[in-house]
Amino acid sequence: MVNITVIFSLQSLFLVGCVPGCLKICANVMSFLLTPLFHFQTSRDGVNWDLSEAVPRLPGETRITDKEVIYICPFNGPIKGRVYITNYRLYLRSLETDSALILDVPLGVISRIEKMGGATSRGENSYGLDITCKDMRNLRFALKQEGHSRRDMFEILTRYAFPLAHSLPIFAFLNEEKFNVDGWTVYNPVEEYRRQGLPNHHWRITFINKCYELCDTYPALLVVPYRASDDDLRRVATFRSRNRIPVLSWIHPENKTVIVRCSQPLVGMSGKRNKDDEKYLDVIRETNRQISKLTIYDARPNVNAVANKATGGGYESDDAYHNAELFFLDIHNIHVMRESLKKVKDIVYPNVEESHWLSSLESTHWLEHIKLVLTGAIQVADRVSSGKSSVLVHCSDGWDRTAQLTSLAMLMLDSFYRSIEGFEILVQKEWISFGHKFASRIGHGDKNHADADRSPIFLQFIDCVWQMSKQFPTAFEFNERFLITILDHLYSCRFGTFLYNCESAREKQKVTERTVSLWSLINSNKDKFKNPFYTKEINRVLYPVASMRHLELWVNYYIRWNPRIKQQPNPVEQRYVELLALRDEYIQRLEELQLASSAKLPDPSTSPAGPSQMMPHVRTHF
Amino acid sequence: EVSGKDYSPTLDVYVIRNLREIVVNEVSFVRKCIATDTSQYDLWGKLICSNFKISFITDDPMPLQRFHYRNLLLGEHDVPLTCIEQIVTVNDHKRKQKVLGPNQKLKFNPTELIIYCKDFRIVRFRFDESGPESAKKVCLAIAHYSQPTDLQLLFAFEYVGKKYHNSGGSGAVGGSNQKTPFFETYSDWDREIKRTGASGWRVCSINEGYMISTCLPEYFVVPSSLADQDLKIFSHSFVGRRMPLWCWSHSNGSALVRMALIKDVLQQRKIDQRICNAITKSHPQRSDVYKSDLDKTLPNIQEIQAAFVKLKQLCVNEPFEETEEKWLSSLENTRWLEYVRAFLKHSAELVYILESRHLSVVLQEEEGRDLSCIVASLVQVMLDPHFRTITGFQSLIQKEWVMAGYQFLDRCNHLKRSEKESPLFLLFLDATWQLLEQYPAAFEFSETYLAVLYDSTRISLFGTFLFNSPHQRVKQSTEFAISKNIQLGDEKGLKFPSVWDWSLQFTAKDRTLFHNPLYIGKSTPCIQNGSVKSFKRTKKSYSSTLRGMPGSLRNGIISDPDLVPRRNSLILKAKPDPPPPPTSQDHGAEQYFREWFSKPADLHGVILPHVSGTHVKLWKLCYFRWVPEAQIHLGGFITAFHKLSLLADEVDALSRTLRQHRAGSLDAGHAGPDESRMYFRVSAHATPGTPDFLSSAFPFSPVGNLCRRSISGTPLSKFLSGAKIWLSTETLANED
Repeated sequence: MVNITVIFSLQSLFLVGCVPGCLKICANVMSFLLTPLFHFQTSRDGVNWDLSEAVPRLPGETRITDKEVIYICPFNGPIKGRVYITNYRLYLRSLETDSALILDVPLGVISRIEKMGGATSRGENSYGLDITCKDMRNLRFALKQEGHSRRDMFEILTRYAFPLAHSLPIFAFLNEEKFNVDGWTVYNPVEEYRRQGLPNHHWRITFINKCYELCDTYPALLVVPYRASDDDLRRVATFRSRNRIPVLSWIHPENKTVIVRCSQPLVGMSGKRNKDDEKYLDVIRETNRQISKLTIYDARPNVNAVANKATGGGYESDDAYHNAELFFLDIHNIHVMRESLKKVKDIVYPNVEESHWLSSLESTHWLEHIKLVLTGAIQVADRVSSGKSSVLVHCSDGWDRTAQLTSLAMLMLDSFYRSIEGFEILVQKEWISFGHKFASRIGHGDKNHADADRSPIFLQFIDCVWQMSKQFPTAFEFNERFLITILDHLYSCRFGTFLYNCESAREKQKVTERTVSLWSLINSNKDKFKNPFYTKEINRVLYPVASMRHLELWVNYYIRWNPRIKQQPNPVEQRYVELLALRDEYIQRLEELQLASSAKLPDPSTSPAGPSQMMPHVRTHF
Repeated sequence: EVSGKDYSPTLDVYVIRNLREIVVNEVSFVRKCIATDTSQYDLWGKLICSNFKISFITDDPMPLQRFHYRNLLLGEHDVPLTCIEQIVTVNDHKRKQKVLGPNQKLKFNPTELIIYCKDFRIVRFRFDESGPESAKKVCLAIAHYSQPTDLQLLFAFEYVGKKYHNSGGSGAVGGSNQKTPFFETYSDWDREIKRTGASGWRVCSINEGYMISTCLPEYFVVPSSLADQDLKIFSHSFVGRRMPLWCWSHSNGSALVRMALIKDVLQQRKIDQRICNAITKSHPQRSDVYKSDLDKTLPNIQEIQAAFVKLKQLCVNEPFEETEEKWLSSLENTRWLEYVRAFLKHSAELVYILESRHLSVVLQEEEGRDLSCIVASLVQVMLDPHFRTITGFQSLIQKEWVMAGYQFLDRCNHLKRSEKESPLFLLFLDATWQLLEQYPAAFEFSETYLAVLYDSTRISLFGTFLFNSPHQRVKQSTEFAISKNIQLGDEKGLKFPSVWDWSLQFTAKDRTLFHNPLYIGKSTPCIQNGSVKSFKRTKKSYSSTLRGMPGSLRNGIISDPDLVPRRNSLILKAKPDPPPPPTSQDHGAEQYFREWFSKPADLHGVILPHVSGTHVKLWKLCYFRWVPEAQIHLGGFITAFHKLSLLADEVDALSRTLRQHRAGSLDAGHAGPDESRMYFRVSAHATPGTPDFLSSAFPFSPVGNLCRRSISGTPLSKFLSGAKIWLSTETLANED
């Protein structure tokens, strides 16, 4: 008899269809899906595998403890495993035979550790630890109630994840990794300014801040207008928040307009003026021999700038600065960005909001903020590149939004910064040396997870860079993995690169002598971070389209822990690399054939399009 | 008659002559508006309305054509009449505007004409310097000719009629590039049966001369166990007499069948049973039939049309900056992506049924000629790599759309009967694009090909997308032939040019842009673990040798053909184990998808779509190409495509040289550039880097259209006020 199967709804089935719903998963897949993809691979470099335990260990990394736990995987349910804690990482290996789950989490990414359940808790796996991470995920472990195992693990994790509170050194100071390149030498301010053609007739390099006396959050070496004396600079400093005076970030090689950065003027409620500051801005305006006004971009929304007057800050008024025009860029402050990212996490972790994905994404406003930052940077770049006028950028203190705007505008204007080393220099210069408060914004080794100073400003910048690389797939030497690796080590505390708030603090701690630079890791293995489509182009200004029509959520970063969102190597990139290999193989075979035939035929010119003739113009340029 | 009038030095005169186009009306000193915020880029010229298109011939030769990618039938500024959606005339001074329908009067002299196109373009002309009367005449002519009331008034008839007159009755129209089977003949279907290795299915000719149904093809495929006589009887019970049509068979013997509803309530059970029995008998494992009621599972055609209208509003009509803030939720509210997802998801579920549960699938829909077209096609694109080649994809459209009676005439709304309009074909192309986006190396064609194919539905020259059914072509063109005194001879109706004859629209060089440089053809070697390997067909390949083999023998070595049940065999083998009960199916599908996604995809096997919200995306090339603010200058995927093409071209050239070397040929270097399948080629004089004409809208040029951005890359310009009114007629209170 024929059995007629009538359709019944398979709804939602497909959505969960690709989700591993049970534990029995092919071993490689599990470890691939659940370890931080890029971190996992990069951490193999320079890692000594302790063969007896098969737990990776960096030179200088010491084992503290190990425990049997149940890892409550949000995607696959509870998995029994053994967790190894060192002074650098938390490493979990599944003890179940049919799963090779591995978690490899640097303690630096831990933001918060909470105990869940109490002595009276009933129910399976209700007693344990809940760990909130800075990289868009949470980890939950269930432990046995007897034998103090949770107390031990809690204390050890707290101690090593938050070393500052326990007078312990951050791991970067214990790390004994050796690389064949020294990343600390990548950025040399004098060389970078020389590359820009500085000093010149209008701009000079000053060492007035050599001992960080003028401004303790600025770098030692500054570029200022030739016509401004050191005394002028000191007087201007009194009128700028935290003495962060206007200094040069970038100069256009042809039209000589400049990007200058600083903090807000100390106008206050009474509308104070400062003749030196006004004169100084005018001197900057005149450096490119343009008669046009100086353009000031205040990154903040207008109302925020006004509100800042109450605390002594403010903005440049028309009456005081006749030769300048001011625009507000409407970018919100660090608190708004932090809350926005929190909402992003809510809709992507552990489960991706499915029913109204686009409107949920919209309600986080994350892409809207990205759009505003990019739009601001485009305006800065457009001003400068068109030679219309020089540009001065500030926000309140000039270390968050200002750094985003100047560095993104420079990335659009100067193709040098789109190379791997160029980008490292850009980050080193506009962010690290100019005092973006990495320690406060990230909270390295600090247990105060609710600190209002924390904010994903640098992540937002990297996201903007990723958006640009999506729109211009051939313009950047680096690939997505490069950006993700930077973000992973923004938190990991394995390298000294992002530690501390400013150069003076770093100098005091002798960071360059006592820690390893992230760029050492990257530059000693550059091939892994290269974009195969990169086409080097000089003098091309990149204007991304800062429109919601093109901005996308960076799925491979924000949703990378979710095995449902397949993280596959970019198929287009992969195919390109395959074709490159194929080409090389063909060329080699042709050469062999030619060699063989030229042995037979005395006159090689009978083969007019042999590889020797062909190769010069068929070789793809990089 | 002004046939072949040489009205432009810039247009290819040959094309005009060849088409025998008639100029209806023209007006000079017209200004075509280009930018929204300035008139400095505006072009002066002559606006012409012919019986095929509207043309704008610039007075000065077009400035600086940096690349040439043009349709041979259409100039840069031309719009085919069938592509026009709405015509709005405006008089600034009197502050009047009017949507022009056919045969309408216009009581004012227009100062401006805005044409809204079905392909999302908006074209705007100013008549400040032109003769007011001739301007008015042209507007009226455009309104009249773009909204014909009768099918035979479409240009294709005119064209084909003349062609017949001139060639003395032979049907030699258009090139006969005929690699693409049309499925008009018995043999095309027979070949498809053999290609898929379907046993238990036969070509049926009872509809020859459309004796049974006017919306079925003359030949189609049915279960071998159903006799012609039975089919004839059953046919009366089906809506439109559309009895079950075979679409495709899996190598495991499961078939995909589409079928209309049985309207005869009394007979319903009985006939349904008979049909299902017959399909079961045609399955080598005698597996059950799985029925999918598309009307109950998927959005209906009105909902899809409503979504499309909203999408169009959003993409072109709304001022760019104003839609930015709520872009994502507005996009969600159009429901377009949701519907694309629904079709992909449902098709993927049917792939599971066919591939993993070894069941034949019957698609049920009231008439079986709308949603069925999309689902049947998508299932085949996912399952059979043949349909991911250009020829295969075209044959799929012939098979599941043109021959299956998809009502192109009504759904594309060539004749202004708007209530039947629905963009199902576009939805299919969009869903295919999603698959292409997710598996970029699995398709022989590029996204440009898909967009150009969509545009071709708006050109009234090709018979392919003009009719509601094959019968309608025959009927209408026979009538037309009689009225025009054309001797048809043995032919069944007039032969219209086929859209698959791409040489009618594009040069050979331009056609290479259809090729996807990422595609790994079956014969193309690929690199695996560093060594070059040729693709070999896997065990599950679509060769017919193992087809129809009883389950127990499939892994055996014996390949005695006698063991395969003969076609039309009435002897039923013992039924294999019944399939797992339906309750376990959820789990089974879940398992199936999970396992499939956990392995790397075999690009020559099944491909399944990711359907989460983060994966289904808006097809920007198609929907944004005319929006200058949305264009990424010197950016977008095309820049990577360009680099890939150069490399693929280089690899092709090397491989040719190698082959010639091996063949011992001495003039090895004569691998001419014509052999290249790439649009972008390696050449000695080309500078490295991205050509400056590339943008995310390439190859669709924004220059000739509505606006051009004044600040490159900065979406600062506002949309012109005129473009805000993609009006419906009733909103125009102030006409006349």
